Amino acid sequence: MRTGLYDKLVRAGATRRDILKGAASMAAIAAASGAGLGAFTRPASAASELRSKILQIPGVGKGQPTDADFQKVGELCLEATKANVKQGEFAGVELTFMGLNNQNLHNVLFRGFLKPWEAYTGAKISWIDLAQADYNARLQQSIATGTVDFDIIEMGAPFEGDVCGKGLTSEMPDWVKKQIDFDDLVNYLKPPVGTWDGKQYRVTIDGDTHNFNYRTDVFADADLAKQWKDGGGAGEWGVPKTWQQVQAVTKFLKGKKFKGQDVYGYLDAPKPWGGFGFYFLGSRATAYAKHPDDKAWLFDADTMKPRINNPAWVRAIQDVIDALPSEPADQINADPNTTGFQQFLAGTGSMIPWWGDIGSNVKTNDSSVIGDVTGFSILPGSDDVYNSKTGKWEKLASGPNYSPNCAYLGWGVYVMARVDKDEKKKKAAWSAAAHLGGKDLSIWTAMYPSGFQPYRNSHFDIPEWVAAGYDEAFITSYLKSEGDSYNHPNAAIEPRIPGIFQYYSAAEDILANTFAGKMKAQEGADAIAAAWEKLTDQIGREKQIKLYKASLGLA
Amino acid sequence: MADQILPTKDWPANAVPSDLIPPGRKRLGWAVMAAATLGLLATILVQILYKSEVDTIGFETWRPVVYAYVLWGVALGIGQVLTRGEDGQRALFLLPALLFTIAMVIFPTLFGFYIALTDWNLSSFSGRRFNGLDNFWQMLADPYYRNALFNMVLYVLAVLVEYVIAFGLALLLNAQIRARKFFRVVFLMPLMLSPVAVSWMVGKSLMEYRFGPAATLARHLGWENPAFFSDPIIARISIMVLDAWTFIPFMMIMLLAGLQAMSREILEAARVDGANAWQTFWQVTFPLMLPVSVTAVILRIIFKLKLADIIITVTSGGPGGATDSVSSFIYREYRDRSNVGYGTMLAMAYLVIIIVFVTWLLKFANRFVRNVN
Repeated sequence: MRTGLYDKLVRAGATRRDILKGAASMAAIAAASGAGLGAFTRPASAASELRSKILQIPGVGKGQPTDADFQKVGELCLEATKANVKQGEFAGVELTFMGLNNQNLHNVLFRGFLKPWEAYTGAKISWIDLAQADYNARLQQSIATGTVDFDIIEMGAPFEGDVCGKGLTSEMPDWVKKQIDFDDLVNYLKPPVGTWDGKQYRVTIDGDTHNFNYRTDVFADADLAKQWKDGGGAGEWGVPKTWQQVQAVTKFLKGKKFKGQDVYGYLDAPKPWGGFGFYFLGSRATAYAKHPDDKAWLFDADTMKPRINNPAWVRAIQDVIDALPSEPADQINADPNTTGFQQFLAGTGSMIPWWGDIGSNVKTNDSSVIGDVTGFSILPGSDDVYNSKTGKWEKLASGPNYSPNCAYLGWGVYVMARVDKDEKKKKAAWSAAAHLGGKDLSIWTAMYPSGFQPYRNSHFDIPEWVAAGYDEAFITSYLKSEGDSYNHPNAAIEPRIPGIFQYYSAAEDILANTFAGKMKAQEGADAIAAAWEKLTDQIGREKQIKLYKASLGLA
Repeated sequence: MADQILPTKDWPANAVPSDLIPPGRKRLGWAVMAAATLGLLATILVQILYKSEVDTIGFETWRPVVYAYVLWGVALGIGQVLTRGEDGQRALFLLPALLFTIAMVIFPTLFGFYIALTDWNLSSFSGRRFNGLDNFWQMLADPYYRNALFNMVLYVLAVLVEYVIAFGLALLLNAQIRARKFFRVVFLMPLMLSPVAVSWMVGKSLMEYRFGPAATLARHLGWENPAFFSDPIIARISIMVLDAWTFIPFMMIMLLAGLQAMSREILEAARVDGANAWQTFWQVTFPLMLPVSVTAVILRIIFKLKLADIIITVTSGGPGGATDSVSSFIYREYRDRSNVGYGTMLAMAYLVIIIVFVTWLLKFANRFVRNVN
């Protein structure tokens, strides 16, 4: 077998054993080619015909999808539901769905997708919409006060400790696994993600990693290249591969003009964002802090002692402090929403880390002006990496250390245990969740602005994206950045421990003060570590150690 | 007086004057109230012990405690009539308000003080644990809370500037100017808008660093980097401006009402005595307007002490806590960190501070008005 093909298969989620086994290798090849071999016994041609059809709604480059488009897509993807549910079977059932309305995505799409499902099944859905920054608080209050007032929830894997760990979710029935073609998920989203105590709870609707988004036109500009060389810049002018280069480029671009406009380098997101903003410091830190020989990077796995104040994290914090003066003047007030959607898509800045939403928005979002000039890669690496066990910085023989930040592990749809006592309601809730997590519908959400990014092996079929209207070079770059991050051997994996967002939120507030110059990087990091220690004691250290180890696969 | 009271038989069954109630009936009334009170306290105690996992006897929900409370209310009513006759009947009219106040004000306040003494984080496996004064000591050592209190002092001082502007506008709208009605409506409009809407329209759009018209104008005027919310001092001032823009009309309308209620004869008499406009204002208008001014300023300060929505929307307290108010800080402690115990301690401490401060302010204002007049 050619090594290129082997690598492609492994990236697509096939194991070495799969490839070497005759029959299984067929499945692996099918997975890699996007055809998949789900339990769904539909002719492949019908499936691909349906996918082609939905991917033309409204069509890449033809403006942003509307509610009518969501409903059309939902209608066309109903076949999988019809195989398990009779028409009108859920008449009289009322469900409540809690999720986000961030960027007018998430719930806004779900409403449209589920309208045809409601019409067919007879069920009725009420909606609870939350802003991203309010999500954690609303969920925690519902859990702590025993007032879970929703039947279905859109939730991220980090909250599984808080929710599934407290027995609040319903276990996934087997028919749902078949309907959503569970085996098509990329490897890193397979169990233990979505499970608790060995039981499957989550219908995955998203994959998550931070990738590196950059402006191809800026880094191909001859004039900037000349200025870089004349200014004594190290190496050739081009896309930075390490954080050290990111810093150098960001400082170099300060005060420079490009196409008559101010040009900026990297965009940091210092403003708190309900805990989610911490991921953006995490993306700067993983290459420094995540050693290939150590799965842990946020805490010490044996003691839960925070590593946030070790030299690696302090260096990342210092990087932000050093870079901010070279970023737009009001950057201290930018949260990730601002950097991603108001700055980068609008043409400000030339590098940001973000979830895959940037890639699926640059071509399809009405506010994007950078559709043809965006490139993608995994997060930058670092010339050296900190070894927490030895307490020393190390240069790896293999070159720079890379560690993609698999932040948040994607959104999923979970059914709450409160429906379990009513079989009809339970089936309705799971049917709605399965519809949203359907294989065909998922390719549409991966391609259009939805809040979700590729999460299935079948999402990595480049010809399908090209047929839908994507530029081949663009989409190859995008999907490669995603796939390479998901499957990276040194990926920094989100710890699924209770209260993780309290840790992040506590850090965010202290970081905001640090970035504003109220304290030095080390002081800020020490303050975060102290807050985290207090939180660990509050929540229960021994349990946290156990769960943290489990999330890292060390248990 | 006993000799003026009509015979008992002429009174309706329950409407007996207090001093003619038989001792037996009084004892029955006290017994009913005591039994209901004991029943309520026992229900609460049982439920607290059950929920704290000290005891295994209790209820799954707090609903039985609510039922016990309602029964206690009914027993209290019966007991009042039995023990106090006519007076007890009159007291019945106060009973709904009393029960509501206990349920909605007194109980939450007491419960809040209890929560403030616990180490309650919503993610904690062990739920609420009593931790004495730990939260209090933590609060005293918390530089961010102190910083928010300091910001509140600045925000409250800004009310004086708002007052001057509001008074100026009120005088303007009280004068015989053209299109007076139109201007009254225009100046009142900000008050009709939600502070969050104002935050988005003005703070996030008009004052936006790159494309906002205010920033563009500032650049034309020579301010190279007009980032209204990046520098701590400018950010504070910007928040004050946003807040003032929303609430100055409130003070203005109060002051305008005061000006219009003022006797024209006094002003005319001042003019006849030869006072110019300046003297008339300082020696007649301003002193006579003091009671209204004090009311307007105190009410505005009370609104100001609750300032949070504009800050949360525009800066989240940044940069580096420079714009944090106490309310926005407490909000984040609850919302982002789910730290209910400590957040409640902060809120309770702030409540005490506000009560002390407003009480002093009222006394000071009264003395000030008396001295001036």
